[in-house]
Amino acid sequence: MNYRKALAATTAAAALTIGSAAVADTMTIGITQNNVGVDSYQTTYEKAFIEAAEANENVEAVVLDAGGDVARQIAQMEDLIQQEVDAIIIWPTNGEAVIPAVRKAHNAGIPVIVTNSNIAEQGFDFVASFSGPDNITQGKRSAEIMCDKFKDMGIADEAKVVHITGQPGYTTAIERAKGFDDRLPEVCPNVEQIDKQPGDWNREKSQKVMEAFLVKYDDIDGVYAGDDNMGVGALNAAKAAGREGIIFVGATNFAVGYEAMERGEYWGSIYQSPVDDAKAALKTAVETLEGKDLPFLNYFDTPKITQDNMGEYDKPVF
Amino acid sequence: MQAGTLSKYLKSGAIWGFIVFELIFFSVAGEFLSVSDKAFMDADNMLLLFKQSAPIGIIAMGMTIVMVNGNIDLSVGATYALAAIVMLDSMTWSIFEGMGDAVIFVAWGLALLTGVVLGAINGIIVWKTGVDAFIVTLGAMLGYRGLVFMYNGEQPTSHLNWTLVDFAEAQFLGLHTPTWFLLIVTAAIWFLMNRTVHGRNAYAIGNNREAAVNAGIRVGPHMMINFMIIGFLAALSAVVFYSESGSVNPNDGELYELWVITAVVLGGTKLTGGAGSIISTFGGVVAIQLLRKGLAHVGADTSTVNLVIGLILIAVLFLDRQLNVKGKEELKV
Repeated sequence: MNYRKALAATTAAAALTIGSAAVADTMTIGITQNNVGVDSYQTTYEKAFIEAAEANENVEAVVLDAGGDVARQIAQMEDLIQQEVDAIIIWPTNGEAVIPAVRKAHNAGIPVIVTNSNIAEQGFDFVASFSGPDNITQGKRSAEIMCDKFKDMGIADEAKVVHITGQPGYTTAIERAKGFDDRLPEVCPNVEQIDKQPGDWNREKSQKVMEAFLVKYDDIDGVYAGDDNMGVGALNAAKAAGREGIIFVGATNFAVGYEAMERGEYWGSIYQSPVDDAKAALKTAVETLEGKDLPFLNYFDTPKITQDNMGEYDKPVF
Repeated sequence: MQAGTLSKYLKSGAIWGFIVFELIFFSVAGEFLSVSDKAFMDADNMLLLFKQSAPIGIIAMGMTIVMVNGNIDLSVGATYALAAIVMLDSMTWSIFEGMGDAVIFVAWGLALLTGVVLGAINGIIVWKTGVDAFIVTLGAMLGYRGLVFMYNGEQPTSHLNWTLVDFAEAQFLGLHTPTWFLLIVTAAIWFLMNRTVHGRNAYAIGNNREAAVNAGIRVGPHMMINFMIIGFLAALSAVVFYSESGSVNPNDGELYELWVITAVVLGGTKLTGGAGSIISTFGGVVAIQLLRKGLAHVGADTSTVNLVIGLILIAVLFLDRQLNVKGKEELKV
């Protein structure tokens, strides 16, 4: 009798716990992305994020896209705060302009997770966690890939490099450029960077920038582009102009970059998966809400990939 | 009943009807599609709507005058970015050191001055060369954007001043600071267009420039003043927005000219000039922001939003043309 009573009580208590846990565990997570559709990385990221959110039955996601417009992103932050979501993930359009909006969310008691590209340091106090790649290291690694190749070719004392950066004002672009600019003279002090222009993460824009470089400079040995999308744009410009022997190094290995590497036209890149990126962001948000202790900077690893070791990596899906 | 009265009412009322339709549609659709528990027509959400309309809305008021005038200004986005840079950068200039937060007013003044000067340059070229405003301001759009990039390369220009942010985020009588600016600008420009000689001249010039010249209106200086007004308002919009965000990307404000023109046209202002209303422009601005907000509320993505706005714009222009044709035909009979 006592036994049965106790059993019933325990079962009821257990049911109650499970019931309340299920209610408490349904979290609404809002995300405002930078510019979906501008390149295949961001498009794949969004798809992967939605899939990951659907796979997790405790998560309801509000997926928004700022279309590259700071004003719209701030408006979306305000909307998410007003809708009282449990956590906000932001892929900043401008690492500084969104700080007041992030502070607003912080003050409203909503944890903010920054994804892919971090906001400026002044805003760190209002951010729960950052999830994304280490872009300075990526820039450095690209510089090393380029320098190693020049050494193999025996032109490390005379090579001239041009540099195509990402969207102006965008932290990823600034950090990768900084990593590359800092590291290249350290490993290859005699290689000269002769020009640097923004390609806005856009293949066509990058192609135009490269066309201008080719007209302006007779001697170009290497091209560093802030991502493969732009790198392939530059490669196309060089092919159209019939200029051969240029070493192309990018970052964020895209399928087009991977294919160009297979053809032997493109030397190397940094392997970064938007699927990992999206999953890491959602995981960070969920774990923050679960109250887990997370490091402030949650990097996922992005290794070097060149024609020599590309067999170890699957072709990117984007 | 006078011929064309119905079409006139239809035209001026259409934008408000559209807004009501949007509100009903998104409220109903939001019940089924939105993951948010809050209603779309929540008071806070509506207050945010006006606040978020401010950057485009303030410029749209100026664009209405310029378009009523029979001109257009494509350089507002670049002016907006340049004024923002001047405002944020001047706060760190060493000559203003030691001013404390009073430097904010100096920075605002300089930004607004920048807008007026850039507008005056557009205006004086249109006046003195007689080149179409479309071409002049297209050149200015590229040129001013060039200045933006020359200022700080591809880097963003930033200065985060929390006093300024707190002011911009403040709510007075429930309305956000940007909303107040939008309302004041709307009221001021409405007064200018409807209660002053300058406003009546703007309509006269847009209707028939020859006749306006013959009537003794000094068309050149008049247009220049209007370009200075829109330059001022583009800068004011930047002042209001960047007081809150504190950092400007060199490509900020790109495509703003098109959003502004879309809002003005949605409000019923004619591209050929001579007709347009400030209040309807306000409606056009609200309608666009409502559409953006509403589609996001029901879970549509940004590309869908742009597609829908594009389709509506074409529909509005088509409707406008049909109504005008009708009106003329009836007059002939």
